[in-house]
Amino acid sequence: MNAVKQIRPVCIVGGARIPFCRSNTAYSELSNLDMLARSLQGLSARFDLKGQKIDEVIAGAVVTHSRDWNLAREAVLSTDLSPLTPGITLQQACGTSLQSALLSAAKIASGQIECAIAGGSDTTSDAPIVLSDRLRKRLLTLNKARHWKQKLSAFKGFSLRELAPQPPSVAEPRTHLGMGDHCELMAKEWGITREEQDQLALASHQKLLSAYEEGFLDEMIVACEGVVRDNNLRADISLETLSALKPSFDRSATGTLTAGNSTPLTDGSAAVLLASEAWAKERGLPIQAYLTHYETSAVDFVAGDGLLMAPTVAVSNMLNRAGLSLQSFDYYEIHEAFAAQVLCTLKAWDDDAYCRKYLQRDVPMGLIDHEKLNVKGSSLATGHPFAATGARVLSNLSTLLATTQGERGLISVCTAGGMGVSAILET
Amino acid sequence: MSIAHLSDTTFQHWNIQIDEQKIVWAYLDKQGEAVNTLAEAVLAELEQIISVLEAETPHGFVLMSAKASGFAMGADIREFEAYTEAAEVAEKIAHGHALFNRLEALPCMTVAAIEGFCLGGGLELALCCDYRIAKATASTRIGLPEVRLGIYPGLGGSARLTRLIGGIKAMELMLSARMLRAPVAKQYGIVDELVGEHQSLYWTARRAINKRRRGRRSVLAKLTNSGVSRPLIARFLRKETAKKARKAHYPAPFVLIDNWVAHGGSFERMAQAEIDSVSTLMVSDTARGLRRVFRLSEQLKEQGKKVTTDVKRVHVIGAGVMGGDIAAWCTLQGMDVTLQDRELKFIEPALQRAEKLFKKRLKKKHKVVAALNRLRADVDGRGVQQADVVIEAIFEDADVKRALYQTIEPLMKSDAILATNTSAIPLEQLATCLAEPSRLIGLHFFNPVAQMPLVEVVQGEQSQQIVIDRGAAFCNQINKFPIVVKSSPGFLVNRALAPYMKAALELHQTGLSKEVIDEAALRFGMPMGPIELADVVGLDVCMHVMETLSDDLPAEAHAQLSQMISSGKLGKKSGEGFYQWQSGKAVKPEISNEQQDWDGLAAQLIQPMLATCQAALDEGVVSDAGLLDAGIVFGTGFAPFTGGPLHYQQQTVTHDESGRSA
Repeated sequence: MNAVKQIRPVCIVGGARIPFCRSNTAYSELSNLDMLARSLQGLSARFDLKGQKIDEVIAGAVVTHSRDWNLAREAVLSTDLSPLTPGITLQQACGTSLQSALLSAAKIASGQIECAIAGGSDTTSDAPIVLSDRLRKRLLTLNKARHWKQKLSAFKGFSLRELAPQPPSVAEPRTHLGMGDHCELMAKEWGITREEQDQLALASHQKLLSAYEEGFLDEMIVACEGVVRDNNLRADISLETLSALKPSFDRSATGTLTAGNSTPLTDGSAAVLLASEAWAKERGLPIQAYLTHYETSAVDFVAGDGLLMAPTVAVSNMLNRAGLSLQSFDYYEIHEAFAAQVLCTLKAWDDDAYCRKYLQRDVPMGLIDHEKLNVKGSSLATGHPFAATGARVLSNLSTLLATTQGERGLISVCTAGGMGVSAILET
Repeated sequence: MSIAHLSDTTFQHWNIQIDEQKIVWAYLDKQGEAVNTLAEAVLAELEQIISVLEAETPHGFVLMSAKASGFAMGADIREFEAYTEAAEVAEKIAHGHALFNRLEALPCMTVAAIEGFCLGGGLELALCCDYRIAKATASTRIGLPEVRLGIYPGLGGSARLTRLIGGIKAMELMLSARMLRAPVAKQYGIVDELVGEHQSLYWTARRAINKRRRGRRSVLAKLTNSGVSRPLIARFLRKETAKKARKAHYPAPFVLIDNWVAHGGSFERMAQAEIDSVSTLMVSDTARGLRRVFRLSEQLKEQGKKVTTDVKRVHVIGAGVMGGDIAAWCTLQGMDVTLQDRELKFIEPALQRAEKLFKKRLKKKHKVVAALNRLRADVDGRGVQQADVVIEAIFEDADVKRALYQTIEPLMKSDAILATNTSAIPLEQLATCLAEPSRLIGLHFFNPVAQMPLVEVVQGEQSQQIVIDRGAAFCNQINKFPIVVKSSPGFLVNRALAPYMKAALELHQTGLSKEVIDEAALRFGMPMGPIELADVVGLDVCMHVMETLSDDLPAEAHAQLSQMISSGKLGKKSGEGFYQWQSGKAVKPEISNEQQDWDGLAAQLIQPMLATCQAALDEGVVSDAGLLDAGIVFGTGFAPFTGGPLHYQQQTVTHDESGRSA
């Protein structure tokens, strides 16, 4: 048997993305296909990939139309990449594009492929609206029916209520709670205050603003529909404006999650180029960082675990395998689905009981230096087009490591369904 | 020759492919050119191809482009210069008509598959097909803009388009010279099917042939061509056209309307009228002048093609009328712009004007919002460090400007352009304070920025050529024509305008009414009379320009102007100057029907300007007479059909001489 000879390093060459926009604003007329194609095209332009065959493009979308069943491949065909580039459509909720990168990374490491693009796109402006289950089944029956009698019987017991269209829902199918409702529960469990959350949100906006002003995002951002910056970014935000907002989920006095410290529904896409060292060097492409470790995990949220706590487990397991402590990083990219999610995660890592029970650790993992957390802003400021976030975070961190001579960075992304995806980038 | 042989034949400008279904695909690919034109050689080869298809009918025939730039731009206007006699042109056009009729008569289904530019002759070719599909990408533009060249569509377009979409829409399109985006062309009924961004023209064309698709023809459109409706519609069209163009200067649109009224009921007669009229128009001085200006405009753009730039961020300092409007224009062109002034309250009026501009031009709300987000007030000047271009547009004080440059130069990116919008201070004086004086250039915009197509790229003695080239490339990027001028008083445009306005003020002093003076200029072909222009520019600015040029007015005129300025009559901006201004328009009484020597009057106004242009050329302010002509046409609106001031002068001299010798 011709076994894999050795594991090869996996390089992050860099990323490209369109600015993210709040739902129903600048991208209201764009589809996931439109947006994904633009980020891929931006990546192609940035790294001069015109006509090149990429070994695979893995990408997906969370809120998606049935017509987009072959999204990744279709998006490839709308770019100047070689049409011989295969596209794989994949989905793991908010972890989609990070997971895409991890799958391609494993193939690069094992020598199956030399290069890949991981990406994601999401839009809630162009969300699919579907027919009710009953009506849909009737129509399918009607389609199969041969005589008029069968056709007629398809409509037996028809009620007008069935005509109501079913909008997509971001609620958890098993708990019927929205993501924010779940996070509100976590905030209460961990005693996260409104002030802490608002503070984190404020910092995220301020850091993203200076990232734009210092040109950190210049190479990554591809203007789209006349938009050049994430339009959720508020330059004039202050603690006063944040604290004036009413709670969005638990609307009583005990609610702490607001529109300011939670991510809004967002449209956008992002993509990142991965390669073997040889492939990148052959083309004179930069190697921003190496993707060295990664892990995916899940928690039993249906039984009562915190829905968005899975990254704590993924990171813990990954650090064990890597033989690293939580403190051995220059930067932490912890996706801010909600300010409370980040704060719960950080608190849990420093909690003796939690670390024993859920992470099988005798000693808590400890605290991190807040100065190293999301230093260029994160989802609270950029917004969060579910499937695109992973690729945004990856290229953010790899650029950060490349431009600051940092050695190591940690990525943690929580997803719907109680899952978490984590990764380590090193230089 | 059979169809099978067609694909073996090598054509210079066409790439022919035959598929297994016996569909013939003809890809237009004009040899040695970046864009397709329907040059004679292209049509000659098309004739060969059509002859084959007449002998043996294929399953379908598809016309496409092999070039990324688009389908076809129209005829090759350079070829028209060879003809001096209408009869020669008529012969050529008639030949083209015959060829297009043969294409239209082919028994197989014919499809035009369009992406990018499909203009003039390109659209006339597509109109001969049974079915037109167009890709709805941002670059697709469809139209018949021939009137801009002093003619009207001459390859059957006026007859085919009126027949296809009716007289109202067709005439509106041809008279306005509008270029439509694909979805609008579909609404007009010119395009039968749109192809989405992610779909392919090839497969859509193939499907159209296999399903034998036909476009829908509206009955209403047919009614507009009836003998009853044509005169009624024409009355309206004539009125609207007269608002935009004088018949004496621009006869083509009026001839088009007349021909449609007379012959719009019959395709054959309309086509014949086209051959007769377009050939006459083609050799007229007007068409020659307009073709020259078009050619020269391409030459202006060439100045901006010596280097490639990709300016993303612009920082404008000074949020006054010019600075604010320059910032708004750059934003409208897609750039990320910061606008600096001492306090937010000085920037706010500029932002409000910008919003008005964005609403007018972008229409869609989300695009307006996106544009407003790209334009940021920046009191602290944080944008300087990231800007690719910094434009200074503060008041004309050399010391203040120098002090400003000293603070911003160390902050700027090393390869960023530093430009001043000054119209009065020599660049050499401003550059002295810079560590790197060679980086300073002038980018002199004209008011109103959104309407004036020209920018003077001012080269000081110290300015480095590469920065000038990049400045010109930046102008191209923001869709303005650059003209490189030497740093000298008034540069080109103001220097040429000053004697024109001065002559007008002098004539006014002699007792001639301002309305008569302005009318004389309009009759000559200027877009605005000199006195009205002075009001629009602002009398204070006029005075300042004249002082800069040390071109003193006679004492009485000077006294009058000073008196008006000191009493607050500054022109349009203050509501009163020489004219009263109401809702942006000068109130003009009807001119009494007195007889005037209009030509003589116009000569008195124009001659000083021509002399100044010649002097500017002799002094090397502009490197080339053609560029100078283009600069004056686009910078002052100087009667474009004359071909520009120097050309006009030369022509007049030649005419006079030939008149004398006769």
